[in-house]
Amino acid sequence: MATPNVESPAPVGSNGSSNGNGAVVARPRRRATAQSMAAGQRDISVSEFFAKNRHLLGFDNPRKALLTTVKEAVDNALDACEEAGILPEIWVHIQRVGQDRYKVGVQDNGPGILKKQIPLIFGKLLYGSKFHRMRMSRGQQGIGISAAGMHGLLTTGKPVKIMSKVSRRESAHYYEIQIDTKRNLPEILNGRGEGVEIPPNGLGEKLIEKHGIEWEETVEHGTRVTIELEARYQRGRGSVDEYLEETAIANPHVAIHYTDPDDDKRDYSRVTDQLPPEPKEIKPHPYGVELGRLVTMVHDTAAPTIAQFLIGSFSRVSAAIAKRLCDAAKISPRANPKKVGRQEADQLYQAIQKTKIPAPSTDCIVPIGEELILKGLRQVVPGEFYAAATRPPAVYRGNPFQIEVGLAYGGASPVARVSREGLAELLEESDARTLRQFLISSFQGLGADAADKILASANVGIRISPAKLKSADVDRLHQALQSVNISEGQSMNVLRYANRVPLQFQAGACAITQTVMGTNWRSYGLNQSRGSLPGGPVTVMVHMASVWVPFTNESKEAIASYPEIQKELRLALQSVGRKLGMYLRRRLHVRHEGQRRQIFLRYLGEVASAVSRINKTDRDKLYDQLLEVAKKSTAKADLELDDRGKPIEATEDFGDNVIIVEPPAAATQAAKP
Amino acid sequence: MATKLNARDAKTMKRIGEMADGVVEAAGKKRDPFVDVPTRSLSNVKYNKARRFIEMGKATNRRHLFNLSQAKSYMQTMLVASGATQLIEQGKTTSIRGLFYLLKHTIEGTKEETFADQGECDPVIEDCEVLLNSLREELHLYAQKKGDMVGDIVLLDRGDEIDCSRMGSGGYGIPSIVEPEAIEFKRTSAQFILHVEKDTVWQRFNEDKFWRKHKCILTHGGGQPPRGVRRLLHRLHNELKLPIYCLLDNDPWGYYIYSVIKQGSINLAYESQRMAIPDAKFLGIRSKDFEECKLSDSVKISLNDTDRKRAKQIANYPWFAHKPLWQKEIKRLLDNGFKLEVEALISKDISYVTEHYTPQRLKSKEWLD
Repeated sequence: MATPNVESPAPVGSNGSSNGNGAVVARPRRRATAQSMAAGQRDISVSEFFAKNRHLLGFDNPRKALLTTVKEAVDNALDACEEAGILPEIWVHIQRVGQDRYKVGVQDNGPGILKKQIPLIFGKLLYGSKFHRMRMSRGQQGIGISAAGMHGLLTTGKPVKIMSKVSRRESAHYYEIQIDTKRNLPEILNGRGEGVEIPPNGLGEKLIEKHGIEWEETVEHGTRVTIELEARYQRGRGSVDEYLEETAIANPHVAIHYTDPDDDKRDYSRVTDQLPPEPKEIKPHPYGVELGRLVTMVHDTAAPTIAQFLIGSFSRVSAAIAKRLCDAAKISPRANPKKVGRQEADQLYQAIQKTKIPAPSTDCIVPIGEELILKGLRQVVPGEFYAAATRPPAVYRGNPFQIEVGLAYGGASPVARVSREGLAELLEESDARTLRQFLISSFQGLGADAADKILASANVGIRISPAKLKSADVDRLHQALQSVNISEGQSMNVLRYANRVPLQFQAGACAITQTVMGTNWRSYGLNQSRGSLPGGPVTVMVHMASVWVPFTNESKEAIASYPEIQKELRLALQSVGRKLGMYLRRRLHVRHEGQRRQIFLRYLGEVASAVSRINKTDRDKLYDQLLEVAKKSTAKADLELDDRGKPIEATEDFGDNVIIVEPPAAATQAAKP
Repeated sequence: MATKLNARDAKTMKRIGEMADGVVEAAGKKRDPFVDVPTRSLSNVKYNKARRFIEMGKATNRRHLFNLSQAKSYMQTMLVASGATQLIEQGKTTSIRGLFYLLKHTIEGTKEETFADQGECDPVIEDCEVLLNSLREELHLYAQKKGDMVGDIVLLDRGDEIDCSRMGSGGYGIPSIVEPEAIEFKRTSAQFILHVEKDTVWQRFNEDKFWRKHKCILTHGGGQPPRGVRRLLHRLHNELKLPIYCLLDNDPWGYYIYSVIKQGSINLAYESQRMAIPDAKFLGIRSKDFEECKLSDSVKISLNDTDRKRAKQIANYPWFAHKPLWQKEIKRLLDNGFKLEVEALISKDISYVTEHYTPQRLKSKEWLD
């Protein structure tokens, strides 16, 4: 509140000195002194901060905690493998160890971690290799896996267990680590603070058994991290299953072996043996640097002159540009960076904004590629039409990025693929209050309308609690899921990715969702009400690759809406949209031809009979002949009927990177929802 | 089953047969079979000034079997043709309603009917007439009969001798087929034909024995005269050389009835030469008659918008456009703002129309041509 003006009457209800009765209140007693307060003021460690604010990192609830744990471990594993140039193979094992308690084990075939680094990586927040460099990777900050370990420790008291092996001949190391939240430092619990060394021989095997370490024997090198935590396992939207499935789409070079709490095993095999090329590390672009960062960089540089600092620390700054920057900032290019003060730094910052500097090089970004997007989508999402588009790289705030979009259309919806047992299980696990809520939250792309339609067909109440459903009701519900055509009530399923990592939450806040909703899909043959996702059996995957993905917060669930990013998103979506539109129009045409044929066939018999009654010609012969003509004049419908399942000659109409398949062929690979 | 066909039926059968052969031929060549149906619309009729009636133009509509919007009507055309074949072969005739029931059935394997209702069947019958260049009666079809006749004439109707002067109060119902094979005129002493619009007026004239007094043949067509009535008038006029006078309502509908009798109708333009009577005269009622006959205000019926529109349309018909008297007549109707039925004259006196109005007009030769 503003300071009260002395001359004006005291505002009513301000921090005045009188209450309603006009009685004077005694001056408040000083509760604490500066000295006593100082005693309570101290450092807050990052670990403490995040221990209290776990939701910032994606540990808001037990269900999400499980997902985030798996996700951080898998992301790290993939990063490590790719950086080392190894085709990643990941084992994910989730076990239920008690009521609301789960053990998550994630193992990779990566390069392994050096003995002295293990405790730091897993036991210290904000420790990592990825934060300080401009290079495309899944992880960015180095918080994730250690935060997961911390969460486990806080909820179960169990330490993080790490086993890492660098090569076949060398000993592996086994650590049990917990994080000292006050000091943000790792504490090693086993082997008297030294961990256990596991030699590559018979003794090693015994030790593995003794310590109860799970280890995929076939792996010559790699890392396994095991975290026990309080969590909840539930299938459906935002689940571990979904995360792994989506990961498989965007990472066609990865093999994942997944064992869920019910001991069901699922394998996502790789679609390609080609590792994505290694992303180059780049220096920051001047446009992407804020004033504060610039000041720090100037202060920390070892360059003797400011010109050399500019050339050496930034990308795309040549000697000529450095000179121009210095001139604009009225600083001598030869000035010593150590002597550049805040004032000059500010001038330099202003100069950077005003000077034209070439866009950063974009070879630091490695897109998935249209071909692999198609392969990945096809492996996981059953459909009849696939299209993909990769945009050329672009730049936002000095950060290069690239947008890719894949689209799958048609195929059976996840709803129709669920088995009777699967449904019963889903119902049991669900914490939805009503059946309607259950349907919407359990199945991707199922809207409220479709849910109502299913429930009406199954003749079960909307408000019934899923757990209370009787067996006969489940039967009917299952029947309804199979039979009700929900393709109209279905809304588009949007899979979002940032640097190949699926984004599963906060869809509404994400630039991708916003742009998908802002795109006019009606002109591509889908129905869409204004400002919402289009309807129909469509899955769209959108991938943003960048050296620095602008997330809206630390839990990395939504991409911020920069206009440059939205523009690229829109162009990419339109590009696949056009192809879908062509396909749908042609399909519609074929269907019309089919209907035409039906109409003709309906009348042919009548015509043949009438004519034969008139001139006594052979009715059946005439009918057959007319049938021939009918087939000829609706030949297009026939062509499609015969050729379905194979790419049609007209593929060039669609441009590159389109697959058209016969629906059942893809459905065989369908994973459980 | 097949009775011996007379020459006319044989000709019709040949035409139908040719059409059916066309289908077989097209199918044999793997072509899309089609028929060319002459267009029955205002755009395809011409007023022949020399012959003074409406003639059909040469425009045709091609009707394909393998065209989505035409497939069904193509099928129906074939059905009607086959129905006609059946009738001719068995030497029977039926009403268009009867044919509708003969052909109506559910298409095999569907829930669709060949003809949904009579209204769907009638235009197809007319299509067949123009397509096969055969009259309805040649297809052994007739429309619902309406219209009666009395007067001093004796005729033979399929062998039965009918004396139209001895028909009592009901009159002789004019059949739908009045071709010379069916009806033969024996003898008459009538001097002219008086055609009135509808039954009630006809009853008045008949009761007052107007026809006996004035030596005429008295007919009515129950509003728009059906073809049987028109064809009979045509024959009476041409074969017995009797002039025709029409006593119709003073409204656009009455004008139109006159126009159809005189020039032929748009829909049946192809039959004009057998039906149109260019010499027919319009006796009344005229738009001036309200004042001339000093009728009371209570007989006025106000014109509505449709009437006005229709009147203007009729004024623009080429066969009215250049007749100043007609233009005046229609203009006066519009100026009056009301129409008059023939029955309005009854308000003067029950027999005013038969004893004063009509004889006076005939005597003074006051009519419109």
